[in-house]
Amino acid sequence: MAFLRLQNIVKRYGDLPVLRDVSLEAEKGEFVVFVGPSGCGKSTLLRIIAGLEETTDGQVFIDGADVTDVEPARREVSMVFQSYALFPHMSVRNNIAFGLKMSGMPKPQIEEAVAEAARILQIEPLLDRKPRQLSGGQRQRVAIGRAIVRQPKLFLFDEPLSNLDAELRAQMRIEIARLHRSLGVTMIFVTHDQVEAMTLADRIVVLRAGRIEQVGTPSELYARPANMFVAGFIGSPRMNFLDVEVVGSSQGAVTLVHPAFPDGPVSFPISRPAPMAGERVSLGLRPEQLNLEGRGRASLAATFDIAENLGGTSHVYAQIAGGETINIAIPGQPRATPGERLLASFDPQDAYLFDRDAQAL
Amino acid sequence: MTSRTTGRIAHFLGLVLVTACALFPVYWMFSSSFKNQVDLLAAPPVWTFTPTLQNYVDVFADPKTLNGTINSFIVASATTVLALLFGTPAAYALARFEFRGKADLWFWFITNRMISPIVLALPVYLLAQQARLLDTHIVLVLIYLTFNLPIVVWICTDQFRSIPPELEQAARLEGASQFRIFWQLYLPLGAPGVAVSAIFSFIFSWNELLYALVLTRRAAQTAPVAATSYMSGYEVPWGKIMATGSVIVLPVIVFSIIVSRHMVRGLTMGATK
Repeated sequence: MAFLRLQNIVKRYGDLPVLRDVSLEAEKGEFVVFVGPSGCGKSTLLRIIAGLEETTDGQVFIDGADVTDVEPARREVSMVFQSYALFPHMSVRNNIAFGLKMSGMPKPQIEEAVAEAARILQIEPLLDRKPRQLSGGQRQRVAIGRAIVRQPKLFLFDEPLSNLDAELRAQMRIEIARLHRSLGVTMIFVTHDQVEAMTLADRIVVLRAGRIEQVGTPSELYARPANMFVAGFIGSPRMNFLDVEVVGSSQGAVTLVHPAFPDGPVSFPISRPAPMAGERVSLGLRPEQLNLEGRGRASLAATFDIAENLGGTSHVYAQIAGGETINIAIPGQPRATPGERLLASFDPQDAYLFDRDAQAL
Repeated sequence: MTSRTTGRIAHFLGLVLVTACALFPVYWMFSSSFKNQVDLLAAPPVWTFTPTLQNYVDVFADPKTLNGTINSFIVASATTVLALLFGTPAAYALARFEFRGKADLWFWFITNRMISPIVLALPVYLLAQQARLLDTHIVLVLIYLTFNLPIVVWICTDQFRSIPPELEQAARLEGASQFRIFWQLYLPLGAPGVAVSAIFSFIFSWNELLYALVLTRRAAQTAPVAATSYMSGYEVPWGKIMATGSVIVLPVIVFSIIVSRHMVRGLTMGATK
């Protein structure tokens, strides 16, 4: 049986549905990331696991036990809040020791556990400071220290990195990944940042409007998004979507037209039943799968607009017939000038197709 | 002179004026307590005079003053302690829990302050008489609580609401009981509000005259009543009254200074980003 099981979770605030029938399982030691835009219900779902929020319907199982109606402290979960939620009037030491004191652990053992947590997180010199005397990154470590010291069955992180600057965020991301490896505990991590999701997760759960859109490993979500939402959400820079028309279909292939195809209709391989001729579908092309060097059996005629130079790579924005803008990720810097004609080439087998309901074809 | 300097000077003069208006009566009370009866009644008032301690000697020779001060201290302390004891948990409940009738209860707390005290003086007197509580500390403490509890609840609810709810949630996850959360989080973090409401409660009880006058005779007579009791039909010994007034004011000033140390702003800084 899965270590964490959410069964048909429904949450409503009055008439407002926040979670609609969410079911999910996580194995012991797994790092699961809930990702989605603001208001998708990911934090609510996390708080339901913690017991800070009651479910309207559905059940929560942790380690085989139904904890739906169990109070938070007895669920043996720890949570790191977005705001850190450190107790401002207590020293770092007392913040970390708080939960252990509540559980009635003898003093010498508490001291030992606090020292160990401080050592792991390298906050030993800060133990006698108050939270207001710490930087954002240090507070974050203390919050994590308070979580790990109790040796919980389950770690919950509610957007813990969103208050940190970019450099620190990258650093803490690596530290959390290391922590997960060394502790081997199940972690649930909520974020709206797909980079955090991709880099940390064993498995990603993409949520939208209170529903799970797709669950899978980062590679699965990247390679085989279930719908346009996931395709657009996972992967950076964002996938390009073109509105195309089906002109012909056969077993395993579909022929599409778009005003930007310079050589007329292009045939794309397809695994699902092909749509009928005359239907409109969406063609998804990842920026990194497009190139300006003519590699690939298909291309888009485009007009160079502007380029973002990231040093090693550049994001080229170009206009195609029909008024759409596409993004092309290329190594180095483009040699084109604004207004210059380009050919963005790609292989049709790398492309993604979505039907009118935005589901993958 | 630039308009900015002019503005500053105007600002400064305004502040001086307000401060002078606020402090002048206090100055007049203190200075009058050192005047003899002739200087006190001089018209126009005299600004320079030979100070005398006779008023203080007279006041302390009269056991009424000392007894009154002790009674005031007992009543004000007991009222303040009880108001905090009952008021802060109520404020916590109102700040953080949803329950039926919460809004009505909240309004009811305020309505208590809408009634003019004199309106209730007679009914309260009759009730106290029936309950044989006239001239006791208890009756004063009880009646002062009805005025002070709403103040404590009001100030502390607002203060407790400003404490980030994540702190309570974090403590709950760490296994803290409801009482511990109140005791170890809300009271220390709400200290500024608790201190302010304690000061209000103490000062109100210390200075209250109307009910003390109506409900006490001798045994439980408080300091303000003692001060006014020097007035008789034939003479008004302003010197003694002012000396008693000065003696009454001192403990409140000391208490306020002690408690105001807890009114540090930004106590919750560092809890959350």
